[in-house]
Amino acid sequence: METIPLTNISVWLIAKIFVLIALGLYIVFAAVVVKQVGLMIKTIEVGFEAPIKFVAWGHLLFAVGIFVLAIIIL
Amino acid sequence: MVDVFVAGNKEKPIGKDENRLDYRTPGIKKVKGRFYSPFSSFCYFPLGVKFISKDSKEEIVLFLRRHWITNVGWIVISIVLLFAPVVLGSFPILSFLPDGFQFIAVAIWYMIAVAYTLESFLGWFFNVCIVTDERVFDVDFVNLIYREITDANLNQIQDVTVTMGGVFRTIFNFGDVIIQTAGEVPRIEFTAIPNPDKAAKILRELREAEEQENLGRLKE
Repeated sequence: METIPLTNISVWLIAKIFVLIALGLYIVFAAVVVKQVGLMIKTIEVGFEAPIKFVAWGHLLFAVGIFVLAIIIL
Repeated sequence: MVDVFVAGNKEKPIGKDENRLDYRTPGIKKVKGRFYSPFSSFCYFPLGVKFISKDSKEEIVLFLRRHWITNVGWIVISIVLLFAPVVLGSFPILSFLPDGFQFIAVAIWYMIAVAYTLESFLGWFFNVCIVTDERVFDVDFVNLIYREITDANLNQIQDVTVTMGGVFRTIFNFGDVIIQTAGEVPRIEFTAIPNPDKAAKILRELREAEEQENLGRLKE
């Protein structure tokens, strides 16, 4: 296994931490999307609210799912 | 004999109450109801549209958002982003990574593609301009963390300018309508809306109607 010189830490462990941080930030972004969609739907109603909410929540769940998957498989 | 024209088959207004289309403004009397889709870019008397701070007696005359052709750029980019991993899959770009990382890299790529597509769509969908019989209401969804809502009463409108230039704008008949107001926000912009001349005309007629109404009130 590739390790950082003078330490016994695996390169892929460091990579995993960075990937998890990036995915964590993405979850925050997805949560902001859900919040902003909620605010915009309160601001304007045009008769297409349910599908947009569904997509925003689906996007957040997808981000959480990938985060969990990354913890398991990396 | 076959009937060439049947009067009964006229396009029906979608509105629940057909009388609502008989508007008090002289210039736009009896505007026919059009099919309203949530994705419309230019719509008279849209049905089911509500906005924050709308009065119960206030009626939405015009609902506007950017012309659909302005979406072509991000739609093409989204399609490219969607199919890029499939095309690039035949090249061993990620082969130096372990299997798990390869999978997560592709998943991250798709997440970025979804984020880009979603933000572009929301930016178009929620960036709307609404003209009611009392005021002009402009919602700018700049990005996911910044939005701006501006409104001005019709009697505060001082000047309406239509700008339309360029090949695409001329072919697809869309442009900007810039409204100078005497309100706190001196300028409201309807960007890349379809039929800008028609929108400006309706605004002018609504202003005239508002002035007449105000004069009537003063006489009383």
